[in-house]
Amino acid sequence: MNCRSEVLEVTVEARQVEEAMLALLHTILLHRSSGKFHYKKEGTYSIGTVGTLDIDCDFIDFTFVRVSSEELDRVISKAVSEFKDALSNTGSDGMGQISLEFYQKKKSRWPFSDECIPWEVWSIKVNVVNLANEQERQICREKVGEKLGEKVINVVEVINRHEYLPKMPTQSEVDNVFDTSLKDVQPYLYKITYQITDCLGTSVSTTVRRLLKDTLSL
Amino acid sequence: MAHFDTEYQRLEASYSDSPPGEENLLMHVPEGAKSHWHHIENLDLFFQRVYNLHQKNGFTCMLLGEIFELVQLLFVIGFTVFLANCVDYDILFANKFVNHTDSSKVTLPDAFLPVDVCSARIRDNAFVIFVLTISGVFWLHRLLKFLYNVCCYWEIRSFYINALKMTMSELPYATWQEVQARIVEIQKEHQICIHKKELTELDIYHRILRFKNYMVAMVNKSLLPVRFRLPGLGESVFYTRGLKYNFELIFFWGPGSLFENEWSLKPEYKRGGNRLELADRLASRILWIGIANLLLCPVILVWQILYAFFSYTEVIKREPGSLGARCWSLYGRCYLRHFNELDHELMSRLSKGYKAASKYMNCFLSPLLTVVAKNVAFFAGSLLAVLIALTIYDEDVLAVEHVLSSITLLGVCITVCRSFIPDKHMVFCPEQLLRVILAHIHYMPDHWQGNAHRYETRDQFSQLFQYKAVFILEELISPVVTPIILIFCLRRKSLEIIDFFRNFTVEVIGVGDTCSFAQMDIRQHGHPAWMSEGKTEASIYQQAEDGKTELSLMHFAITNPQWQPSQETTHFISQLKEKVHREATGGPSDTHPLSLSESEPRSLIANVLVGPSTLNSVHFSADGSLTNHAAAGLGNGASALRSLSPISSSLQLRGSLSAAHRPSGHTSTTSKAMAGSGTDAWTVSSGSSAWEGQFTSLVLSEYASTEMSIHALYMHEFHKQQSRGELSRHTWHRQESDESSDSIPDEVRSEPNPHSRHLLRSHTFPTTVPSPCAIPTSASAIVSTARGQEGAASSHKSSSQRPFSGSTADSFSAGGRVLRSARGVPMGGWAEEGQAAPRHPDPLPEEGLEDDMPPHMHKVT
Repeated sequence: MNCRSEVLEVTVEARQVEEAMLALLHTILLHRSSGKFHYKKEGTYSIGTVGTLDIDCDFIDFTFVRVSSEELDRVISKAVSEFKDALSNTGSDGMGQISLEFYQKKKSRWPFSDECIPWEVWSIKVNVVNLANEQERQICREKVGEKLGEKVINVVEVINRHEYLPKMPTQSEVDNVFDTSLKDVQPYLYKITYQITDCLGTSVSTTVRRLLKDTLSL
Repeated sequence: MAHFDTEYQRLEASYSDSPPGEENLLMHVPEGAKSHWHHIENLDLFFQRVYNLHQKNGFTCMLLGEIFELVQLLFVIGFTVFLANCVDYDILFANKFVNHTDSSKVTLPDAFLPVDVCSARIRDNAFVIFVLTISGVFWLHRLLKFLYNVCCYWEIRSFYINALKMTMSELPYATWQEVQARIVEIQKEHQICIHKKELTELDIYHRILRFKNYMVAMVNKSLLPVRFRLPGLGESVFYTRGLKYNFELIFFWGPGSLFENEWSLKPEYKRGGNRLELADRLASRILWIGIANLLLCPVILVWQILYAFFSYTEVIKREPGSLGARCWSLYGRCYLRHFNELDHELMSRLSKGYKAASKYMNCFLSPLLTVVAKNVAFFAGSLLAVLIALTIYDEDVLAVEHVLSSITLLGVCITVCRSFIPDKHMVFCPEQLLRVILAHIHYMPDHWQGNAHRYETRDQFSQLFQYKAVFILEELISPVVTPIILIFCLRRKSLEIIDFFRNFTVEVIGVGDTCSFAQMDIRQHGHPAWMSEGKTEASIYQQAEDGKTELSLMHFAITNPQWQPSQETTHFISQLKEKVHREATGGPSDTHPLSLSESEPRSLIANVLVGPSTLNSVHFSADGSLTNHAAAGLGNGASALRSLSPISSSLQLRGSLSAAHRPSGHTSTTSKAMAGSGTDAWTVSSGSSAWEGQFTSLVLSEYASTEMSIHALYMHEFHKQQSRGELSRHTWHRQESDESSDSIPDEVRSEPNPHSRHLLRSHTFPTTVPSPCAIPTSASAIVSTARGQEGAASSHKSSSQRPFSGSTADSFSAGGRVLRSARGVPMGGWAEEGQAAPRHPDPLPEEGLEDDMPPHMHKVT
């Protein structure tokens, strides 16, 4: 519970899914990334620069800005294309949800493993529609572009709010807050998961875990 | 090499600061995670644990307690098995002789069977093996739980020490309010909850009590099948821990429950679309859980016995009388609990009402049983006396077979009989007692008032306040009854339950899904008959019964004075407080304290307040004569709320504190000014934060309970007056609930919940319609009894009251709003009483309730 959650909903054509998702995820990540930290001796650090890149979409009348990091782009693109494949496998009018979860790690005492505690979750719900003719597609192309523009402004508004962010870590803790595996950029720790058609109920494993926890707790 | 001496020179200083290559970089200082208490994942669990650790008085106490429990359980099981299987009783009873070479004495080890025989006996006995297995699992379960808890609570302990800056040794003496204030404080620094900059008290309560609030609301709206009409037994309540556990399993956390996790309801249950389908699913789940219960019945039974044994042996051992003593039933706790009331708050409230409640129940000892018991006790007593006398003369008598055992038996017999013989000094004044109880328990069905002397009321009260033995018995039969209730009663309610959760769940930012009743919003859930007339927009289905919303709101506002509710709510609270205050100050200000309570019998609040306020003033006045006034004022005024005065005497302390802290001007000598100022101090400190830091919060909470009692009484009083005008509505409801009480309506939303109105139904309701106004306050109860004595000395309650119901009703209609009517001008039936009472000044001692009652209404038994 102790985490913000934002929901974005888009309705797109099947071929637009990938670009739309990339646009939104990259927009969010752009604001949740910083340059690499270079720690100095006296507990200070300096922040490297982050380059940005304009990306034009092929199937949507839209241009978005992303962090100019090929590595990050590769990771995101991989997740998105998996999502797209899964979505197209289900049939014509799929519904899906891709979520981008920012978390931080907490060291725990010995018997427990490290906890990953999310602090912000972005869920993007996708509705795939089928269009009959080229004219409709053309309209859709513009419409989706406009919609994405709105969403981007929406995202920026949310991010602009003065809300909880993990504190800037010291050198030893930087791995608990930031993803330091990339060479040129350092986003907050994130996780991308997707779900095709919102299935009911919680998974078996969480139920078992809860049962166990509940019998153990007072 | 020419050297030009020019004015142009290299600027060196600007480059010397930073090493080459990093000139233009900004330097940052990381804040680091100073503590790891920011952003806690599961705040519900976290706050619960913080609360539990506080309630268990710190880590060490908890640890030790749990270790001893584990050891105790092991010992109990081991010892029982040993006694059953490994002792040769023939040797102990000397039916068999052992051959000893050196001495003729039988030693204890002689009676023990050899190990191999013993283990063989255990192995052959399937039942023992079964019990042992279950006990083993039970013990292992507790052990695991213990280990898990130690790990978790170690974290909480360091939270207390590092974040809250409280050591474990001071924890037992800190109130929860104090702990809570610190949590609210550190939220600003650590951001435990990331949604909000600041936590409120209500957030914390919501999280700790999320599911309990739902249960309270469901009991309040009579959704849970806990009352049954049994042939022969009449209406009875069956609600055990086993049943409660199953309810919680089904609703809150079991596999496939309505809740996704601790803080959110599953989204499909929030939509009304497929409610029928969801209800079907819930019904089938209930069926399966019921069947599972049925199959596991024997296991659960043994488990229950272990639990019962474990929890109660100690109590029984310590005070054998406690089995006969009563306790608040599980249902009672649910019924009487406010929304957002923590366990310790409820317990302290109920404990304060315990004495009065048991006295009330003892009023109804059966005369027949008393006669029998008296005689049995006589015979048993004489036998016992003879035996003891003989033993004293020559102790060889003890050696005669069965003399010792018969002495013991006779002693037990006399003890049992004595519990059926009422105290000689007991006074029958149920109405008064019930009012005292009400001051603490805060809830009571409407039709009890004025009917306190009836057996039906007593029976219904016993549903809330049952014998401990009955409680244990119910627990023991629970494994058998629970599946039946689940399968046959709860299953039919599945649609209502689905609707309930959909309609009464709200999502609060930073808290998650909570029961909307727990928001204590007068507009959403207020009941027009409970002071929220005109403010509430709730339909009948949405109204909380018994004024629960309003009373809970007052309770929460009083226990958490720092809490800042919404505008509307604040308005309601301040309005109510002002009303109570006016009642309180108005009375004492223009009448002499001594005569006040007599001339103003109807203003109960004034009566109550005279005690504390005069006490206050007495405390810091040196004038001796005033002490007399005050004592009299207390004695007369607080007689209705007798049990309040121990609490209000704690106000003495508060009073002295306030005297110390208030600027000056407190040493006024006229009783009028003193009563006024005393009450002022009392009320000022009530809600404002100005007093924070001046009192220890312990004093504050002690005092808050008194204030809450007064408010509760006031609200009940107000409700009674208001509901007199609305009898038609009540009767209408009554009829409807009668008609449909047995058939479950399919469409709940379309019709008001028929089970909701009268939680405790009385068969006598129509006949008792006029009586709520017959005896408006306990003060008037005193009046009527006093008059009964003066006039016709009739010992029959109802007949002695009847003549006055007319006059009181008159006075009500004449006075309009009784509690506000002009003071000092006795009206109607009270005029005579105003003069009559001083004739019986009866300076009442403080101890013992019965002593305080008018001495003329002995119940002849």
